[in-house]
Amino acid sequence: MRFVDEFRDAELAEVLGREITALCEPGRHYKIMEVCGGHTHTIYRYGVQDYLPEDIELVHGPGCPVCVIPMGRVDDGIAIAERDGVILTCFGDMMRVPGGRGSFLEANARGADIRMVYSPLDALRIARENPDRQVVFYAIGFETTAPSTALTVLRAAKEGIENFSVFCNHVTIIPAIKAILDSPDLRLDAFLGPGHVSTVIGCRPYEWIPRDFAMPLVCAGFEPLDLLQSVYMIMKQFSEGRAEVENTYGRVVH
Amino acid sequence: MSEPVIDSLVDQSPGVGAVCSAEPGCITCGDVAVVLTVASVVGSDAQCRDDGGREELVATELVGDVQPGDRVLVHAGVAIERVTER
Repeated sequence: MRFVDEFRDAELAEVLGREITALCEPGRHYKIMEVCGGHTHTIYRYGVQDYLPEDIELVHGPGCPVCVIPMGRVDDGIAIAERDGVILTCFGDMMRVPGGRGSFLEANARGADIRMVYSPLDALRIARENPDRQVVFYAIGFETTAPSTALTVLRAAKEGIENFSVFCNHVTIIPAIKAILDSPDLRLDAFLGPGHVSTVIGCRPYEWIPRDFAMPLVCAGFEPLDLLQSVYMIMKQFSEGRAEVENTYGRVVH
Repeated sequence: MSEPVIDSLVDQSPGVGAVCSAEPGCITCGDVAVVLTVASVVGSDAQCRDDGGREELVATELVGDVQPGDRVLVHAGVAIERVTER
């Protein structure tokens, strides 16, 4: 399968692991944070850590917008859904997240009409099909997801659909990284940059990280070899005394 | 075709957050996007398919005009970038 099999080659992973090991400074311990939950999935799913020497520790990032959403924002969604005539739509991820008054699933059990959608465009379709109802999309996600919400709003305006609205809970990645770096007891050496967020924002927004904190950041894709190659490039920077933003996900990050 | 890298740790995925089961299908948590190939253009959308033959209708305004055969990165039903083969 194009773009998949060539990035899951176990032999290549072992070669990269050896080259990474060769770049380790004896006695030094490296902590590299993957900012994106998608990278965490890949690391566990494919055992990426097993290809790295013990002196390199992958630290999991802050979690996704869904996982860390304040409970009050869930309650706000439920309050909207309980208004007369409202259909609340959201990604499936949100349905089980607990708020102070339970989850969206539990709100449905009490009579609310909260529907899972795959895309905000599906929410717009529901609005088109239910002109007598107010359809609200519970928008959440990083920069990867925000464009799809914006595109949907533009389409709704273009089509003159007036029973569609958005409850915006989108967040951006840079403040999250700043908050991590501001933590007083934090010890990190480098970042694996979020691949799909970087598809949208590019690599330039990260340049303050090597400049102000002397830490490398390498934007990475989501296959095991993407991550190993990115760790290799981070280690190469350390071995050459550099701290820069680099990109190994040139397939979609330009 | 090469064998996948170790695939035995799937069930050991961590709970990333309080309720997160770290499922690959969690599109916001996993920042998930997939590479699809344009099969045909339908107005502002394109019928796209993956390498397994599964199809979906994708909004393409954000990447400009597409042609059959183009490969695009799709998130939440929207193409967010063209895929460059390198």
